[in-house]
Amino acid sequence: MGMVQKRKKMHYGDTHLQRRWRVRNRRRDLDQIDDDLRTRSGELINQNVDLDKPGFAQFYCVHCAKYFIDDRSMQAHFRTKVHKRRLKALEMEPYSIEESERAAGRGSFQMPKKRVIETQPSKDEVKAGKRIKVEEKPEEDKPMDEDAPTTSAKQTRKKPKKMAT
Amino acid sequence: MRIDTCYFCSSKIYPGHGVHFVRNDCKIFKFCRGKCHKAFKKKKNPRKVAWTKAYRKAHGKELTIDPSFEFEKRRNVPVKYNRDTWQKAIGAIKKVTEIKQRRENHFVMERLRKGREVEIQMDVKDVQRNMSLIRSPAAGLKERRAKEEAEEAALMDEDLPEEKITYVDARELEKKLEEGLGEGDLEMLES
Repeated sequence: MGMVQKRKKMHYGDTHLQRRWRVRNRRRDLDQIDDDLRTRSGELINQNVDLDKPGFAQFYCVHCAKYFIDDRSMQAHFRTKVHKRRLKALEMEPYSIEESERAAGRGSFQMPKKRVIETQPSKDEVKAGKRIKVEEKPEEDKPMDEDAPTTSAKQTRKKPKKMAT
Repeated sequence: MRIDTCYFCSSKIYPGHGVHFVRNDCKIFKFCRGKCHKAFKKKKNPRKVAWTKAYRKAHGKELTIDPSFEFEKRRNVPVKYNRDTWQKAIGAIKKVTEIKQRRENHFVMERLRKGREVEIQMDVKDVQRNMSLIRSPAAGLKERRAKEEAEEAALMDEDLPEEKITYVDARELEKKLEEGLGEGDLEMLES
């Protein structure tokens, strides 16, 4: 007939997303990573040689739960936005099942705490006994400081408009 | 019959509803409906999604710290069945929920009252800023002008008998000054 037999699609759907969310594609969750950071950062950074893992499991970023093939690529990863975003995400205490219950009214709700998260120490430092520390951020009057410049910035932004009109 | 709480929105999960997800570290995540399950799969943070209980509590929308929350808790202590305690518990539950409800409502009303104050302040500011819309700046302009003119006229009358200004030719003034200077120099020489 010479006609195109394929059905013309009206919606492209979210199949590609559904595939990404499949259980087999799951990576470590933030609360698992948080647990890693607090309890087993040393052994994760200094892993035994595993021939199945990328780079024989010698270059592992604990925060992103990712293996790298060599030190160079790992150092490059530490400078990327992906890594920095992950550090930022880990700054807040991860959400947990207990918190969901507290939010439902079983026990008083506790505000999530902020911590100081830094990129992991190098292998030699870990061998010397250094571990990733997860410490609470000392409380500051930061929200006030943040508010002040934003409001002033808004005002300065508004003013020239008024002048123009 | 056990009523679970949703991992994402913290609502109740009645039997026959929702999904359990068991992660490969044996943690069980319970979801009340597809909406919450999907949000979990998308790795949304319940603290940042406005329709969850966690968001509402974390952002001070609801009562968070209160002794009335301490009654209902997962205690992990087995209690042997006893008709007496059962009946007492049922009575207590009703009372506790009533008190809890009252306190929560009170908290919300207090929170909203603050908003009312802010609203009033904003209204006052708005009126002050846009006064020209309510009362025209030209209102009473004629009378004001007439008044000003009258005042000026009064001032002029007062000003008139002041000293008269005499106009001098610039060249003459220069000449005079030069002569004056010459005299001054002579005097200087003499001295």
